[in-house]
Amino acid sequence: MFSQLVVNGLVTGSVYAIAAVGVSLVYGILRLVNFAYGDMMAFGALVAYGCNGPLHQSMVVAALAGMAATALLALALDVALWKPLRARRAGFMSLFLASIGLALVLRQALLLAAGPQPEAYRVDPYRVFVIGSVRLSEAQTIAVATAAAAIVVVALFLARTTAGRVLRAMADDRTLAAVAGIDVARATRLAWAISGLLAGLAGVLAGLVEYSFTPDFGFQLLLPVFAAVVLGGIGSAYGALAGGLALGLAEELSTWSGFAGGVDPVYKPVVAFVLLALALLLRPQGLFGRARVA
Amino acid sequence: MTALLEIQQVVKSFGGVRAVDGAAFEVAAGSITALIGPNGAGKSTLFNCVAGSLRPDAGRIVFAGRRIDRLPTHRIARAGLVRTFQSARALARMTVLDNLLLASIGHPGERLSGLLLRPRAARAHERALRERARELLDLVGLQAHADAYAGTLSGGQRKLLDLARVLMLEPTLVLLDEPMAGVSPRLRVELLDHILALRRERGITFLIIEHDLDFVMQAAEKIVVMNEGRVIAQGDPASVQGDQAVVDAYLGTAAVHEQPAPA
Amino acid sequence: MSTLASAGFWEFVGVVAGIYTILALGLQLQFGFAGLLNFGQVAFMAIGAYTMAILVVKEGWSTWLAAPLGVAAAAVGGLVLGLPTLRLRSDYFAIVTIAFSEIVRYVAMNEDALTGGSQGTIALGPVGQAAQYNGQWAQFQHRMQAWLGLPSADATMLVIVWLAALALLASAWAVLRTPWGRVLRSIREDEDAAASLGKNAFAYKLQALALGAALAGVAGLFYAWQFSYFSPDDFAPLLTFFAWMIVLLGGLGRVFAVPVGAVVFGFIFAGTRFLGFAPFSWFASDQRAYLRLIIIGLVILALVVLRPQGLLGKREEMVLE
Ligand SMILES: Nc1ncnc2c1ncn2[C@@H]1O[C@H](COP(=O)(O)OP(=O)(O)O)[C@@H](O)[C@H]1O
Ligand SMILES: [Mg+2]
Repeated sequence: MFSQLVVNGLVTGSVYAIAAVGVSLVYGILRLVNFAYGDMMAFGALVAYGCNGPLHQSMVVAALAGMAATALLALALDVALWKPLRARRAGFMSLFLASIGLALVLRQALLLAAGPQPEAYRVDPYRVFVIGSVRLSEAQTIAVATAAAAIVVVALFLARTTAGRVLRAMADDRTLAAVAGIDVARATRLAWAISGLLAGLAGVLAGLVEYSFTPDFGFQLLLPVFAAVVLGGIGSAYGALAGGLALGLAEELSTWSGFAGGVDPVYKPVVAFVLLALALLLRPQGLFGRARVA
Repeated sequence: MTALLEIQQVVKSFGGVRAVDGAAFEVAAGSITALIGPNGAGKSTLFNCVAGSLRPDAGRIVFAGRRIDRLPTHRIARAGLVRTFQSARALARMTVLDNLLLASIGHPGERLSGLLLRPRAARAHERALRERARELLDLVGLQAHADAYAGTLSGGQRKLLDLARVLMLEPTLVLLDEPMAGVSPRLRVELLDHILALRRERGITFLIIEHDLDFVMQAAEKIVVMNEGRVIAQGDPASVQGDQAVVDAYLGTAAVHEQPAPA
Repeated sequence: MSTLASAGFWEFVGVVAGIYTILALGLQLQFGFAGLLNFGQVAFMAIGAYTMAILVVKEGWSTWLAAPLGVAAAAVGGLVLGLPTLRLRSDYFAIVTIAFSEIVRYVAMNEDALTGGSQGTIALGPVGQAAQYNGQWAQFQHRMQAWLGLPSADATMLVIVWLAALALLASAWAVLRTPWGRVLRSIREDEDAAASLGKNAFAYKLQALALGAALAGVAGLFYAWQFSYFSPDDFAPLLTFFAWMIVLLGGLGRVFAVPVGAVVFGFIFAGTRFLGFAPFSWFASDQRAYLRLIIIGLVILALVVLRPQGLLGKREEMVLE
């Protein structure tokens, strides 16, 4: 039972982690708390569904299409919305509000385009892998393997490539980065592209894990993702990874009967928030605030 | 003379940087003391510790016989120790007059209970406060700007507003962080006159961070020199000026010197 | 589309605008004057409404006792939220407040024994019996209607809600002009500077949060009475965003900008019901519901880009840093 919960937690947690890195990168560079991120995830999930369902593409092709489409959406939104706002020196508040407006538009547009009925990818819900005492559905297996690979790729990208180091340097100090001769405009586009790719991927994985999803499922994911970002210390990409995994694990493990009889599963989402609140009380700078690499 | 403020072995680190590293000195009651040192020496950080904006990692800060290094900023201010910020913190979207009216301690009108239970006392206090604010506006020459948003003032005018606001509180000790930076030469002279007059007439004690050495030499009777978080010299202007450690610090060759024992 | 001309429909819109005015006034106090990024305002509305309904149905209290207690419970909710979180950085605070409002909604949805669960207030009473909390209120409303000689219940509600809203607006305006309000604004501008002038920023922020929460509680009461039934779904985060939109539409830091924002918002929201002309007529009615929210989202975007100071805000305040 316990090991099953750990594995479930890792599955959920890796989706949170991927999404949290996407939110964190953009926050680090643009100081934008992107409220539309959940709906960008839903956009990616739906594009992938379009390829996988009606167009009969494999899950891999579908996921790649979803990621690419979300990255393009992110870049297009940067040109159409965020860049003009930056040019007007819009403050934190204005940006946040704009992202709320954008979230509404995106979500309703998705509902308009795809309808309110739940969709599911073409994976066999009855095919189950059994490893010891742990059971994983096909969808969960795909999700956790892809997520693990994606997390390694992202971590390597941030640590080893010049572009990754530039992004982290900018997250640390934007003005300094500009002084140091970094092409801020290019780095911004890069951040949006990666953030979009990750949103698309996280959306597809979330759709797989939850088995069926509606076009407005992004908002329910957004809050735990934000919680993961805050838990990791806003703007820290590694912190976001750790925060996402920790949150996923905490949500699942809270239902373990060994832990004070276990929390009623309907309260799983609440566990994330309570944990977040506790963490912030103990460490107002974020749980992994120190883990940030300069 | 008795010490009004005692800084005892104060330490404050940011991550790996020890911004203040065991600084120790005293400020005598009724004196004007200057705190100087190269950029990054830890002067502003020390001010933040004294004023309660930052909590020191180690050491003690004693003001008027009372430990204040664990008190929140507003309690320290109410005890009579107030500060200005290196970049003047005018409250931009409030009028200049409102900025001054804020500087009042124990105003019954600033509490909801006071507004309800003691409306007359609140009004009387407000009236007296306005009168005083007008006086101080005259004093610093900002009377023409009373109803302008503070955000529209020039940098130098903001420094004056900051100073006037602090004086409204009738403090016993004022910490000024680079009051002359960005202030026109004409205003500098006025500002110096104000400070000297306030010390003379009201007995206010000043601790001032300042890079303008002319000002420091004219105004201060004691100079404390900091470098790399430590006090490397202190004494009257003449003795500090000749100190080898100070010359080295300013030339950037900061050799390791013995820290003088606290007086 | 005959409803376009119907007075009843616009009375209803007016009632809702009045309720939103009260809800958004709380937010104006918290954000426009104290700088608090509260994104959980709807939770306090829920606390007010539920407290009143539960006390009336389960404890048999008089509405006139239960209602003030609902408001007090909302204020206490503000204190409980604020005590541990107001020291956080503002962006962290914003996220914690959203989380708080979702926790409140989850509890309302899942604690069936206390709140009736997802079925809403109808399930507050014994099983199999539709519970009702607004008997006394309906009586009162009826008497008011007769006394004022008004044609309908909605018209009466319109008068009552707007009288309450105006009284609250006037009180807020008066109290924000006092030295207390001045301190609040100074904290919005620069908390450190305010503290260095001897102001206990934390205490003021806590007061602003609790008072704003109490206003949301009042809005919750009127919401409950107007609809005579509600469920946790009525208190989704979207409502908080509507309140934000009203505050920004009107203009920040201006008390009487709130009703202006609420009325304009009400017109946009209700007006988008009448998208019966091309190209909107091409869509089915459920699709038009999505279109309405798209339009609202676009209005928020347009506002942020084109008129960040709102309808009544001052441009010069926006350019001051
Ligand atoms: N909030 C902070 N976070 C990290 N480092 C800081 C912070 N404030 C100051 N420092 C560092 O502490 C050192 C001392 O700074 P400061 O006190 O401002 O010096 P001074 O006022 O003497 O020029 C500098 O190296 C500065 O970079
Ligand atoms: Mg300094």
